Amino acid sequence: MKAADIVKATIIITIIGFISAFSLSFVKKITQEPIAKQEQEKKLAALAMVLPGYTIEQEKTVRIDNMPFTYWVAIKNENNVVKKAWAFLAEKKGYGGPIQSIVGVDESNVILGFTILSQNETPGLGARCVEVVSNETFIDHFITKNITNKEEVSWFQEQFVGLNAGTPIAIQKKGDWHKEMKQELIQHNAITAITGATITTKAVTQSIEEGIQKLHKALTLQEVQ
Amino acid sequence: MDYFKEFFKGVWQKNPILVLGIGMCPTLAVTTSASNAIWMATATTFVLLGSNILVSTIRTIVPSHVRIPIFITIIASFVIIVELTLKAFQPDVYKALGIFIPLIVVNCIILGRAEEFASKNSVVHSILDALGMGVGFGLTLFILATAREILGANKFFGYTLIPGMKPAILMILAPGAFFTLGLLLWAMNVIKSRKARFKRTE
Repeated sequence: MKAADIVKATIIITIIGFISAFSLSFVKKITQEPIAKQEQEKKLAALAMVLPGYTIEQEKTVRIDNMPFTYWVAIKNENNVVKKAWAFLAEKKGYGGPIQSIVGVDESNVILGFTILSQNETPGLGARCVEVVSNETFIDHFITKNITNKEEVSWFQEQFVGLNAGTPIAIQKKGDWHKEMKQELIQHNAITAITGATITTKAVTQSIEEGIQKLHKALTLQEVQ
Repeated sequence: MDYFKEFFKGVWQKNPILVLGIGMCPTLAVTTSASNAIWMATATTFVLLGSNILVSTIRTIVPSHVRIPIFITIIASFVIIVELTLKAFQPDVYKALGIFIPLIVVNCIILGRAEEFASKNSVVHSILDALGMGVGFGLTLFILATAREILGANKFFGYTLIPGMKPAILMILAPGAFFTLGLLLWAMNVIKSRKARFKRTE
């Protein structure tokens, strides 16, 4: 190979690298704002869902057991009594990777809301933890346009509302969830497992238990300071 | 007629998945729902089109011994453009396709077409080649995904088909992708060999 060839190749690669870097920084500049906005909106929507009726006061990140732990403090004014509530991020390894969720609890550890932010479980089994039971069929939607029985909340996540996070949440195998089960399950502080996905169900309940312990640690830490 | 041939070869005679056998990774991984398949095909076609146009434009000035790094730089740039755009304007799609968007960089279809076609042909032919390959890839993905979504999730584009029926979960898991792809390859080969026999007897 001649020296001239090497010089030519170097120049061409440099030019192409330069053009590509320049155009990418341009695209980055355009998309940066919408991406940040999306993430912010997603977080706010999740917080509004797990702490219904509360206003978020502040976001805090502390280190507990050398791991960062994020939680939010929220208040609600009810009959001139200020009520406090907290939301925290819970994470635990499921069957196909970490399951990340956000949990809202009030002063007596009762779960106000629960939503899964990200999961990578098996479709049809563990991934049913975000499944929304919809009786709406293809025909309903496009032909008869009979859209009445639409539910937005995932049945698995809805089960946690009203349970006490301070005591271990039991797992019962009662098969598929329906509304009549709720009374009985609340008495036992239990949820019904996802059929064929016990590992996923366990990971979720354990993540809540670990999360609430961390939350209490964080709160006592705050008082000491 | 020549232009039409250039376009159509990607759909049938040289279908990237069923004949050339490249780009199998996204084919098997993202065909769990029809909408995923369409978004994946759109993203790949955009990258393919962009890289084919650029590669064929600069084909005369690129020294042949450094062509691969140059092609990869071009492809990677287009993939990042697609990734950022989806993240900003279609976050749900970005979440559903996940890692397979950045992995378009190593999709053999794109580098394969740049190396085999765009670096040797004119821009117009390269555009047609990219579109044809994109449509061929998209159609295959769509057929696979539709079959898997209907059988494995009892859904089509996210809407339940028969209320209350338990789907065959196997079809939406990894083995279902292999079964469906195998059947599709078999169907394609049957049609091809029938055609060839018909031509001989003529």
